[in-house]
Amino acid sequence: MDTELVIRAQRGDEQAFASLAVAAGDRLHALSHRILRDVDLAEDATQQALLAIWRDLPRLRDPARFDAWSYRLLVRACYAEGRRTRQWAPNLRVLPVDEPAGPDATSSVHDRDQLERGFRRLSIDHRVVVVLHHYLDMPLEQVAEILGIPLGTVRSRLLHAMRGLRAALDADARPARQEAVR
Amino acid sequence: MSTDHETSRIVRSWLDEGVTKLPDRVLDAVLDQVPTTPQRRSGWSTWRSYRMNTYIKLATAAAAVLVVAFLGYQLLPSITGPGAPTAPPTPAPTAAPLAAGEFTSHGVAATIDARGAGDDVSGTMTMSDAGNNATVDLECSRTTESDILVIAGLVTDSTFTENFPEGHRVGIAFQPGSPVEAVWYVVLPGDAPLEQCQAVIDALLAGGPAELNGALEPIEGTVDLHP
Repeated sequence: MDTELVIRAQRGDEQAFASLAVAAGDRLHALSHRILRDVDLAEDATQQALLAIWRDLPRLRDPARFDAWSYRLLVRACYAEGRRTRQWAPNLRVLPVDEPAGPDATSSVHDRDQLERGFRRLSIDHRVVVVLHHYLDMPLEQVAEILGIPLGTVRSRLLHAMRGLRAALDADARPARQEAVR
Repeated sequence: MSTDHETSRIVRSWLDEGVTKLPDRVLDAVLDQVPTTPQRRSGWSTWRSYRMNTYIKLATAAAAVLVVAFLGYQLLPSITGPGAPTAPPTPAPTAAPLAAGEFTSHGVAATIDARGAGDDVSGTMTMSDAGNNATVDLECSRTTESDILVIAGLVTDSTFTENFPEGHRVGIAFQPGSPVEAVWYVVLPGDAPLEQCQAVIDALLAGGPAELNGALEPIEGTVDLHP
């Protein structure tokens, strides 16, 4: 991120912040969508995070660390959305029975559904660690720093989450079948 | 059964799918709100610097001289003649508790133990942040109509070079509730030391309730308040 842009926005330059928001908006939204697994919640979280970034920018001591700092605010916004809407809307895709697909593709679609189901069973705490580490390729040390929790806690959350996702994948190794979604 | 490696690969592949673009309407909504959303300034504190102009300084100094002269006159022992008995000293009553607890506000870890009220506050407050420490001798307080309790005092010992530097007066505003919310009044570079404790409170409340409410944030920890 352009640190000069960050510094200008810290000083209250709204145009500079608009440029920052355009540059950071997509990556923040991609992250919130993967954590919350819901389009509407993710949009709300991203919007709240961008506003929090504007509000708190003067408190960012090192402009070069804008990206990591913005992730922290986004994660907070995701927690807030998670608290606000405790009920997660399951919007799994319904697969047509006669979907023409080879064995590999079927397996992939099957995995996706199983993962979606397993991921939604995880708490936000666990989802965040999975997404930061496996989607952003972030080292666990950095995940710990962004979340403000000990490295051991990050490791245990990741272990728990991946165990749950693996169990979801293994839970039904049979070929994909049509599933009614409620 | 999937191996850990396979699970990670599948999860990574799955996470790579999906939304990557923020809709323009969301971005527009954010940018529409920016002009009416105030930024929180001066690091973790939020408050404007307070600088007294020369006139106020002179007026304050004159008022202080008058107050000292009046108090000195009141405290002079009455002279009724040589050998006149003097009343035995009576122990000062213990002042009522005002605020006590350990908390973190805006990233600053603090303890407070304040007694009394108004211009007769005693006790100390300590602050720690990023390896710096400060101690404040508490001096005064005020409770607003909306029950916000503001306590201020003089920094007597500090390793901070700004925010809580030694020889300056600082303060904190508490909004009772669950959790309690708070905001600091800190010293910004270039600020002259405030001569009067109540001037800190005036500065904290100068923006009115709306501005104060916008700056208050929930504390971590507990503070017992008796506004």
